[in-house]
Amino acid sequence: MDELEEIKVTFFQECDELLGDLETGLLAMENGEGDSETVNSVFRAVHSIKGGAGAFGLDALVRYAHVFETLMDAVRGGRMAAEPALIRVLLRAADVLADQVTAARKGGEPNQEATVAMVAELERWIAGKGSSGEAGAAPEASPAAPSTVIDEDDVGFGFKPAAIALIEIEPEPAAETGPEGEQAPAPIEDLPPATVWTVTFKPAASLYAKANEAGRLLRELAHLGSVETELHDEAVPHLDVIDPEGGYLTWSVRVTTTEGERAVREVFDFVDGDCELSVTGEEPAPAIAPEAPTEEPFDLAALIATAKAAPSALPSHDPQGEPEAPKSIAAPPAEPASARPAPSAPTAPAARQGGGEPAAAQATIRVDPERIDRLIDLVGELVINQAMLAQRVSAHGFAPSSDVAMGLDELEQLTRGIQDSVMAIRAQPVKSVFQRMPRLLREVANQTRKQARLVMEGEGTEVDKTVIERLAEPITHMLRNAIDHGLESPDERIAAGKPAEGTVRLAALHRSGRIVIEVEDDGKGINRPRVRQIAIDKGLIPADSQLSDEEIDNLIFLPGFSTAGVISDISGRGVGMDVVRRSVQALGGRISISSTPGAGSTFTLSLPLTLAVLDGMVVDVAGETLVVPLTNIVESLRPKPEDVHPLGPEGAVLAVRDSFVRLVDIGCVLGFRKQPIAPDKGVILLVEGEDGVRSALVADGIHGQRQVVIKSLEANYRQVEGIAAATILGDGRVALIVDVDALVTAPRATPRAVETIPLAAE
Amino acid sequence: MHESAPKTSNDRRELISFCIGDQEFAVNIMSVREIRGWSPATPLPQTPPYMRGVINLRGAVLPIMDLAARLELPVSELSVRSVIIVVNVGERLLGLLVDAVSDIISITQDMVQPPPDIGYDRGSSFIRGLISMEGRMISEIALEGLLPELDLIAA
Repeated sequence: MDELEEIKVTFFQECDELLGDLETGLLAMENGEGDSETVNSVFRAVHSIKGGAGAFGLDALVRYAHVFETLMDAVRGGRMAAEPALIRVLLRAADVLADQVTAARKGGEPNQEATVAMVAELERWIAGKGSSGEAGAAPEASPAAPSTVIDEDDVGFGFKPAAIALIEIEPEPAAETGPEGEQAPAPIEDLPPATVWTVTFKPAASLYAKANEAGRLLRELAHLGSVETELHDEAVPHLDVIDPEGGYLTWSVRVTTTEGERAVREVFDFVDGDCELSVTGEEPAPAIAPEAPTEEPFDLAALIATAKAAPSALPSHDPQGEPEAPKSIAAPPAEPASARPAPSAPTAPAARQGGGEPAAAQATIRVDPERIDRLIDLVGELVINQAMLAQRVSAHGFAPSSDVAMGLDELEQLTRGIQDSVMAIRAQPVKSVFQRMPRLLREVANQTRKQARLVMEGEGTEVDKTVIERLAEPITHMLRNAIDHGLESPDERIAAGKPAEGTVRLAALHRSGRIVIEVEDDGKGINRPRVRQIAIDKGLIPADSQLSDEEIDNLIFLPGFSTAGVISDISGRGVGMDVVRRSVQALGGRISISSTPGAGSTFTLSLPLTLAVLDGMVVDVAGETLVVPLTNIVESLRPKPEDVHPLGPEGAVLAVRDSFVRLVDIGCVLGFRKQPIAPDKGVILLVEGEDGVRSALVADGIHGQRQVVIKSLEANYRQVEGIAAATILGDGRVALIVDVDALVTAPRATPRAVETIPLAAE
Repeated sequence: MHESAPKTSNDRRELISFCIGDQEFAVNIMSVREIRGWSPATPLPQTPPYMRGVINLRGAVLPIMDLAARLELPVSELSVRSVIIVVNVGERLLGLLVDAVSDIISITQDMVQPPPDIGYDRGSSFIRGLISMEGRMISEIALEGLLPELDLIAA
């Protein structure tokens, strides 16, 4: 059972990917970029989920996916036009499918109501009535046929993933033959001297063993003229005695051609001796049997029936026991091309002929993320160790030009190279986060009765996994905010001369060693007078304050600010933009907004590419070694005594060129010493907090700049105020990385009393 | 080191005992990851005085708790015998600074009695029980109680 569970886990992983593909495909169709391959990929995704679900007996999922698939098939077959209204329905259907998969994964029951409603809606479309309410005329879907037609097709299609991905056969112009039932309408050229040859072809096992394919030969034969192919599978033994590599199938092909017997026999030249072949001529047939194509699937069905009838061996290979036999073959989702498993052996050679193109080898490997994390930790160790070694070597007085020192330099290069490569392994495209957003957009737009379209750019932008995990929350908030507060209602938009449907652009890009996420809407922009008034009303800013437009825009990040007149269900759920900003800042990121009244707003979020390493300035404070993130530092300087001006009872400011900045003694704020040192005796780090306000941090001395490996304090302890994380320096000791924002916003007076856990003596 | 046959019965447990001042304590051996010598810790700001700071444990940042201070006992001077007992507390690792490790003891549950009420109620949240052994009294430490500021119940 464990093995099955394992496969099931794989199946759900695949489902995630397939659902992603599904959504991507549908969105491409929505944007009018969908070609037939897109439609096919959407169909395939639903189909594969259904197939896998069948194998695991997830009946509810199968039933739902089947309806979905049926509709998709109608689109794929061109029986239904992919009009926008339909695609919207399909997108919602995809959401429900995702819910179903999630429910199945957790072993729970999906939302029945939503499912039933969705099924009803899909069935309406299948029946061709779905678009009745829409402006466009109903597409020419054959009203009665769908279910039967599709089932047949289903059988035919179900085979394709069985042996080899055969999807490509459809566009192939050549006449297809064999059990596929894909026989193209044979180009009938009315050439009088056409002869009908009956070719009986029974490949022996040796034919397959020599990597010949019956399909190829039959296709070759089809090039001679029009063909009618019949498969004789009577010789296929029961599964328990079958030789998976045996040759049991016989084809008889009626070829109507102007070519002579020789040409017909030539087709089989290469397999001479590896098959039984007979070619007999007869009078030209009066007409090519038009019903030929439909006959084939029945043969196939018969073959399946035979295969399924095999009593003893089958059940273990066919856990679902559903009449749609092909699913069982298509079921193992992981390896569609896995050799030729016994149950599909009789069909494998036959099915092969269709595409001829083997399923592409997987270009990616799956690795447990923990292994990569471990590798990254180890490389981090290596970097630290290398630094320690270098420090010891120089302490022993080796000259920089000595062999040892030069060898160490090379080691450092290699170490950095390894570190970069390993970090690249863990880097992931932001797509995994982005692809959840279209659904969010649809849901929020639905709830707010707005029309919105999501345009995504730069989904392939890569960023470290540690950052990816933290991106979803701020993006979700920014997106919600853009729809809820940014976009106007359709009526308002039309009144403003804009299209009723608003556009939200979500983009990712790399900029100067950071990842930047932009969420841009074309809504009404920030109502600055109102924002300013609210901030004044809530006492967040003085009533007479003079603020630039930009400053007003960024007021929305202040704690306790919420512009929505009505606390909506969407954005105002207690989590304001201030919380978003705090969490972003905790990651060493920045978030800002810019807005043009009437034209929209843009949220810009920038984060470091990784949370694993950081460039920092190593400083000395009260005998401790600390690291100040370089991103915060504007400049470092040694102040002159006359630049330091006392302010108030304890505070002091520093004159930097024409402005005064607050002096913050790091040692005092962190509680390492009681009395600040004289600023002119130390070194000043001019830093800029997230709010853009500059402060002057006072340290005792500077060691230099270094890239450090970030170590979490929370892993074994907890968050410490004023400290962002820890790292390990060249001497093997832990150094703390300061949280500059917390330092500069800390109460300016003396260090707060060290908090004591209830412990004091009775 | 073993004083009696271990693991012969299911209710027999092994503890590592150690001293702080003239008192003897013990922790469940299953919680102990390793024992290492003292190395200078990097002090953490804004933490209770019993937190000595953090050290580098093969790349992980390990918080060090001065157990004497935590138990409100007189804090002894660091000596060559001072050791750090690295223990698992929930999902976390914690280093306990103690004066010296003494023994591995094997006990059964009936050797453990609840600590009597001596008006030292805060301490009792750290003491799981008292073990009487060869005339000595050993207090078993309840590790989960040591770091109340962490939400260890969830972990």
